[in-house]
Amino acid sequence: MKKTVLTVDDSRTMRDMLLMALEDAGYTVIQAVDGIDGLETLAAQGADVVITDINMPRMDGFGFIEGMRADPNHRTTPCLVLTTESDAEKKARARAAGATGWIVKPFDPVKLVDAVRRVAA
Amino acid sequence: MDAFEAIKATFFQECDELLAELESKLMLLEQGQTDLETINAVFRAVHSVKGGAGAFGLEALVRFAHVFETLMDELRAGRKPCDTVTIKTLLRASDVLADHIQAAQGLAPPVDEERSAGLVHELELLTHGGEAPPVVEEDEDDFGFVPMAFDVPLDEPLPSLGEPEAVAAEAQTGWRILFKPHGRMYGSANEAGLLLRELGRLGPITVSVDDSALPTLDVLVAEDGYLTWTIDLTAAIEEKVVREVFDFVEADCDLTISPLGGGSEPVPVFEEEPPAVLPASDELDIAALLAKAAGDAPAAEQPTPEAVAPAPAPAPAPAPAPEAVAPAPVPAPAPAPAPVAAAPAPAAPIPPAQVAAPVAPAPVTIRVDLDRVDRLINVVGELVIQQAMLSQRVLESGLARSSGIALGLEDLELLTREIQDSVMAIRAQPVKSVFQRMPRLVREVADMVSKQVRLVTAGEDTEVDKTVVERLAEPITHMLRNAIDHGLETPDERIAAGKTAEGTVRLAALHRSGRIVIEISDDGRGINRERVKKIAIDKGLVAPDAALTDEQIDNLIFLPGFSTAAVVSDISGRGVGMDVVKRSIQALGGRISISSVPGKGSTFTLSLPLTLAVLDGMVVSAADQILIAPLPAIVESLTPQEGDLHYVGGVDPVIRFRDRFLPLIDVAMTMGFRDTPVVPSEGVAVVVETEGGQQAALLFDAIQGQRQVVIKSLETNYQQVEGIAAATILGDGRVALILDVDVLVTDMRRRSSRPDFKLAS
Repeated sequence: MKKTVLTVDDSRTMRDMLLMALEDAGYTVIQAVDGIDGLETLAAQGADVVITDINMPRMDGFGFIEGMRADPNHRTTPCLVLTTESDAEKKARARAAGATGWIVKPFDPVKLVDAVRRVAA
Repeated sequence: MDAFEAIKATFFQECDELLAELESKLMLLEQGQTDLETINAVFRAVHSVKGGAGAFGLEALVRFAHVFETLMDELRAGRKPCDTVTIKTLLRASDVLADHIQAAQGLAPPVDEERSAGLVHELELLTHGGEAPPVVEEDEDDFGFVPMAFDVPLDEPLPSLGEPEAVAAEAQTGWRILFKPHGRMYGSANEAGLLLRELGRLGPITVSVDDSALPTLDVLVAEDGYLTWTIDLTAAIEEKVVREVFDFVEADCDLTISPLGGGSEPVPVFEEEPPAVLPASDELDIAALLAKAAGDAPAAEQPTPEAVAPAPAPAPAPAPAPEAVAPAPVPAPAPAPAPVAAAPAPAAPIPPAQVAAPVAPAPVTIRVDLDRVDRLINVVGELVIQQAMLSQRVLESGLARSSGIALGLEDLELLTREIQDSVMAIRAQPVKSVFQRMPRLVREVADMVSKQVRLVTAGEDTEVDKTVVERLAEPITHMLRNAIDHGLETPDERIAAGKTAEGTVRLAALHRSGRIVIEISDDGRGINRERVKKIAIDKGLVAPDAALTDEQIDNLIFLPGFSTAAVVSDISGRGVGMDVVKRSIQALGGRISISSVPGKGSTFTLSLPLTLAVLDGMVVSAADQILIAPLPAIVESLTPQEGDLHYVGGVDPVIRFRDRFLPLIDVAMTMGFRDTPVVPSEGVAVVVETEGGQQAALLFDAIQGQRQVVIKSLETNYQQVEGIAAATILGDGRVALILDVDVLVTDMRRRSSRPDFKLAS
């Protein structure tokens, strides 16, 4: 069965890039534009893997991950964080919030799909 | 265009939006609204530009955006003040950023290296404030336990969970991995089973699990980590590759990777392995790891920094008994153990309120290709014409107005109008997109002429048809340049005149009686009428003895070839004068007027139709020609009575209208449709009012009716004709011209009837 990936990013460019890479790899992709939208979309449609940006309006990635982990249905849904560079502080915060792993932007489609595959049950 | 190029196009489109956002937020900062949300919004805009630019390998853009972003990061962390100097620099940085984006798009030459580097330097100076760059604190030692669900991956096909197998002969080409997940690891949705699966992809694995640390059920914390895995991986790969599997979980588990071979027995309990015996790995400091593990137990009870500091001499400490590791009750990171120097500013925790905040529904929008909308608008335009033709045919066929067909047609007309209005609304856009480009222009012009200027904008959300919005940019640009260059005084002059050194230019948009009005005003010196008149006379634009009112003098600056700048400056003296501005406004069906008070400043007022597609008009006839008079300009219509008519100087007719005398303009004569004037009492007079409030009566042969007409540009299809704003197609298929009332009333009348003006122009 096709796995569903939810991408949460306020940048249309980034959403499009994720969409292209993930669809090429055979995933179903659903999208959200910020943390609040992400939580709503996740609650409504569910996902096998979540990829989220950190800097977003309304609710940022940290808030989104914490919100997601507070939901019993998504406590164990893998969640990858997009970070611009290997920013140790951000990674640590994301991990503290409950992120499963991270993808460093700009990402290579192969590495992205690899990371998704690694965390997808 | 392949997918990648399409995304790149999206990126540049997004960049435009981000730049607009950046500009507007920076303006807010400049106005003193330096709250965190505004600073954050600026940060995000720059951050998004950088992120996208990185994906497309736009190096120069990434480098510049990075420096910009770094400063914004300092500002939002409150480590640097968001003061006036900083904001001014940010504004200039946003201009350079825009240039970089243009260059990356290939729309502009590469950015001037010196200018870019100069700003990079300024930004860096502000970021580091002249001190040494702050040391980036690594906050990796976060060992707060998070109670989370934890599944023993029973469904994973794990090869051999039984006794450890003997190591094969080719064991030199393999790795032994000791892996003890912490409870925290499961909390982040990482699964030991998945990691084992991943290892299995690298080569054949043999797995054994040590469950000796599992407590009895009554004390077992379901969401903690008790198991230790020993995995023997047979694969000729580098250690780095093995380690990558654990990339995400390295901080949330105990991990040792050692080469297989040497016949060493499988070590079931990790903690009992003396670190010294394990071959040292250059990537993982086992001693430090052990120290952290040792520091964990006390940290949970008494979280003092000392307790968590890496022990200098790591004694092989006994593993913290599971019972001792009290899982932290809240998923908050324990007081961040800062092993090095000063603690970094603690990252602001997400306020719980933000997570639980009621969710405001975002407006749902779709993006539609403009061509599709335009096609729709065109077709609806044709529909309106067709509908009008049909109505006319029905009327001509002699059917009663009360007949079913006529009534049905009336309903159809209402629906058609509604469709048209709705379609027009799709194209309506706030003038914000144009207004947002202006602050930069004002900054640049002000710099060039060494004046201090503050731009105040109002009514950015005023909506108008997209075509109008696009074509507003140039006239506004030109008039703002003029206002700064000619209107405002130098700071010294201003102070001498008792004003503030900083001049104010105001740009405002508003809706007024079905039109959009743009006002550009300055608090400068006003128009020097004597000088304007002298120049006009010198240039032969008016006769030396012409008696001109103040208003007429002010309007001289719209005459072709007029330029008041004594020295043609770089800014506004580009051979493009106010006459060009006036023409381009007129081409849009608009008008421009000016009012000026010496010493106080000038105001230019543009008035434009909201749409260039339809117009409510009165259908009139003049000498066999069907003309349309725009309804908004019409005050009322009347039949001239012989007694109300008078002739000024025996030539120019005027008509009495509510105790005033208005000039009576014979349109057919003025337009050159015939040579002899019609007898006024045999025609119809239509009283019109110009944008400037001037009234006049237009004399036609007859009024035929009133209807909405679809505007077709005369300029595009034929050429500009003075006194005519545009054309339309009538219900019977004939072309009718739409009158430009303002031009008729002011310019043409003056020219046809006043010999002195005729000579001068």
